[in-house]
Amino acid sequence: MIGQGFDSPLRLAGIGTSGWRLFRISLSGRYRAVMADQADFERDAMQFTRQLYSAAMRMTRNPSDAEDLVQETYLKAYRAYHTFEEGTNLKAWLYRILTNTYINKYRKEARRPSEVDLGSVEDLYLYRRIGSEESAEAARTTEDRVLDGLVESDIKKAVEDLPENFRLPVLLADLEGFSYKEIAEILDVPIGTVMSRLHRGRKAMQKSLWEFAVKRGLVPEGAERP
Amino acid sequence: MSGRECDDALTNLYQYLDREIEITSVEQIRAHLDDCSGCLRSFDFESRLRIVVRERLSEEVPFEFIERLREALARESSTPL
Repeated sequence: MIGQGFDSPLRLAGIGTSGWRLFRISLSGRYRAVMADQADFERDAMQFTRQLYSAAMRMTRNPSDAEDLVQETYLKAYRAYHTFEEGTNLKAWLYRILTNTYINKYRKEARRPSEVDLGSVEDLYLYRRIGSEESAEAARTTEDRVLDGLVESDIKKAVEDLPENFRLPVLLADLEGFSYKEIAEILDVPIGTVMSRLHRGRKAMQKSLWEFAVKRGLVPEGAERP
Repeated sequence: MSGRECDDALTNLYQYLDREIEITSVEQIRAHLDDCSGCLRSFDFESRLRIVVRERLSEEVPFEFIERLREALARESSTPL
């Protein structure tokens, strides 16, 4: 079965498999990989529907496209399941299919990476703006009010407004908790790129969350930490 | 916040929260947080914000969609490749 990945349906579907195949070495010194059984697909993969759907909603920004995207992901994954090596990271494998399918099919923006306008947005942007109250207690109250008061739609909008090359890493890290290395493999970019896009994407997100907090009257006028 | 230790801690803040930092740095940061309430507060805020973001981004999957998905997979499995 070695090297079969290059002819796999996954490969034919435009999804490269390099980097995914971690062969175990058996006692005899030969490489051996146990491939998954298609009959187990539902049992193994259906547990991720909520996560994949949540990510798909933030990618496509509407329920109908999100459903199509998730369904296409599951069908592709099912067809390629015999090429998935048991014991490796199924969730990351499904996300790789999801993001590739999204990028190939739904992405309307130009392929080249776009920038976020961060102006003078510094680290801890939201925290620094939230309170200049004299007492730590008063500042803490404002922090709580902001964290409680930012509603789902604010946070979703803040993510959805990010340009795609920032939105995908932020989703994979902050919604799914993937490691930098996993995100690099899912998106096929170097780890350094993942880190810088995450950093900039999160800053841009904090900037829009701050704007929502102001709009909703969650912060005192002119409050900024020195 | 001020001082070199604070700058170092801040530089590592996101990697620390992402659990992407080597153990020696983690120990250094924790020691600094024990001594510096300013950094502790900012770290605490960032980590609470992470939780809020994660919780509020999650979606309920429509039940009908799960049904449709299972049907589509069943159709697929009855069709030879």
